[in-house]
Amino acid sequence: MKTIAFKTLGCRLNQYETDALASTFQNNNYKLVDFESEADVYVINSCTVTHQSDHKSRNFISQANRRNKDSVLVVTGCMANNAKEELESRDEINYVLENDNKSALFSLVDSHFKGELKHPSQLDKDLFAYGATEKGFHTRSMIKIQDGCDNFCTFCIIPSVRGRAKSRPFQAILDNVKAVINQGAKEVVITGVNIGRYEFETYKFDDLIEAILNLDGDFRLRISSLEPDGFGDKFLGLLSHPKMTPHLHLCLQSGSDEVLLRMRRMYTVKTFRNTVEKVRAIRPDFNFTTDIIIGFPGESEADFTESCDMIKNLEFGHVHAFKYSIRKGTRAERMTDQVLEKTKTERSEILRGIAENSKLNYRSQFIGKIQRVLVESTDGNTAKGYGEHYIPVQFEGENLKKNTFYSILIKDIAAENDGLLLGELV
Amino acid sequence: MNSHKVISIRNLTPSTYVIRMEKKDFTFRTGQYITLGFSGSIDRREYSIYSAEQDDYLEVLIKEVEDGLLSKRLKKCKPGDELDVDGAFGHFSLKDDEIKSKKFMFISTGTGISPIHSFIHTHPEMDYTLLHGIRHKEEAYESESYDPNRYILCTSGENTGDFNGRVTEYLLKNPVSPDTICYLCGNCHMIYEAYDILEKQGIKLGPIHTEVYF
Ligand SMILES: Cc1cc2nc3c(=O)[nH]c(=O)nc-3n(C[C@H](O)[C@H](O)[C@H](O)COP(=O)(O)OP(=O)(O)OC[C@H]3O[C@@H](n4cnc5c(N)ncnc54)[C@H](O)[C@@H]3O)c2cc1C
Repeated sequence: MKTIAFKTLGCRLNQYETDALASTFQNNNYKLVDFESEADVYVINSCTVTHQSDHKSRNFISQANRRNKDSVLVVTGCMANNAKEELESRDEINYVLENDNKSALFSLVDSHFKGELKHPSQLDKDLFAYGATEKGFHTRSMIKIQDGCDNFCTFCIIPSVRGRAKSRPFQAILDNVKAVINQGAKEVVITGVNIGRYEFETYKFDDLIEAILNLDGDFRLRISSLEPDGFGDKFLGLLSHPKMTPHLHLCLQSGSDEVLLRMRRMYTVKTFRNTVEKVRAIRPDFNFTTDIIIGFPGESEADFTESCDMIKNLEFGHVHAFKYSIRKGTRAERMTDQVLEKTKTERSEILRGIAENSKLNYRSQFIGKIQRVLVESTDGNTAKGYGEHYIPVQFEGENLKKNTFYSILIKDIAAENDGLLLGELV
Repeated sequence: MNSHKVISIRNLTPSTYVIRMEKKDFTFRTGQYITLGFSGSIDRREYSIYSAEQDDYLEVLIKEVEDGLLSKRLKKCKPGDELDVDGAFGHFSLKDDEIKSKKFMFISTGTGISPIHSFIHTHPEMDYTLLHGIRHKEEAYESESYDPNRYILCTSGENTGDFNGRVTEYLLKNPVSPDTICYLCGNCHMIYEAYDILEKQGIKLGPIHTEVYF
């Protein structure tokens, strides 16, 4: 039996695609092994959103090659699009597979072992031809609804590596969701690059979410990352649906309107705040998590303070903060007033401290309350999983099972352990 | 991405010009932009579409930027040259159900008038006021193509327009009625300030209609 190991970087969409690809290999008699083990095939599903992600991807390529020089090494994902020539010139890499060919990975590797060497350009191009993820790595079942983005934020490389926005046919998504529920999935996660812009025939994003929520079955629905534009009140109304989890990752990027304009984001601080307030007026403990870019060109001390204030005021449950790094080919690359690295680092430290406090404050409100936790890992006696608000919870019991819901009374928060909630069975 | 032949270049000032290209089967919603570059080159820039949806050609209005790479090179294009056009992109567009029923305020600076030109020429029946902010009167690009009763030229560098000063100063002196739908296009500072003024004047902007060039 051949062995295959994956390393996934970056976004949830990459994670979903890896899960689906891994399932296809498993269904075809490949053994999935850890990336740290020796394998016959290594797949690096790369990311290129920051310099750091490029750096990490390069590191993993070297590691895979060191582990087994004779392995088949495939690099796919956004770096494969963005640095194709560089990657193709490296002898240790067998195949560089761009995003639009990624779903054909199995066919490429399978042909390789059969002695038929295919060039990636001969493969099928289909952004949605991924199999189900039944034997993947997660209890949550991710469903890809669209790919690509047409927003062209000035800092972002994604439109040039993921291409233009394309939505998956409405019925195919519903069929996919029904199939994973029938296979036992308890949590369905909607994923894509810019899912709020979903549009297929007359169906928009909110129509799709409504249709999924109306499906039968004991499951809950989670929306992954959403841009703060492109959805309306109908969607906000759906957030109160009993199957919808009270959590949104809504990407703020900056708390300064001037910076948002230069980023060409399509909302203002006020409209962002209004969205949060509208949702929390109905459900005060709703979990908003977000992304913040630190040190975007021209970001002044005052702009930065506005970002910090937004985090304090909106009490985000988690902030994914990263320092701005120039991406070649983006508009922001050509902006003249780049912020010094030293300043970005100082601001990062300040913002991380504030974000940490905000997270602990937000999460502390759950002490004394009940969370419905879906267990993702357990040894039978200790289990870890996520509550409906997408906060990690740990608890003890007997015979605890993976992919099962448990009602847990939250007793404490482990501040030293990244705000993990500690609870007990009720 | 498709290659489009240049039909003509129309110089409006020593530094500003309109490139007219063949349209082929390109479609767009008025207000959207394209990315443009020389065939085969990796250097591409965004340009709003200046022409109307129904025109059988595609036009962009470009001003040369000091030390700019593409805005200078594109000025030297000749009829017959091939340009790569990608798009159309963007969400700076009119809502179908508002076009005939609502009052519009278009606020632009410099070449930011380009998508507004497309709006007005696609839907000449619209009820609009257009504020165009420039420094000198020569930058009032093709102003004769707008209804003079609806076009307000704001010149900040000399007293030759309908109003002497910036568009933001005009807005402070001439408040906009709250039931107006506003579209703002041009440089970031103008948009930031104008947005703030309009909001204080009680405009319920709804979704923000802004297109930032720089
Ligand atoms: C959605 C969108 C639509 C646009 N539509 C138009 C349009 O219709 N007409 C038009 O002329 N331009 C438009 N632009 C601006 C255009 O894309 C280019 O930025 C501009 O032509 C300069 O390109 P360049 O290669 O000459 O300059 P670059 O080589 O990119 O830049 C040279 C220097 O000039 C600065 N710079 C870049 N652009 C500007 C600017 N606009 N004003 C002042 N300084 C600048 C840069 O920071 C850099 O320091 C639009 C931009 C966007 C984002």
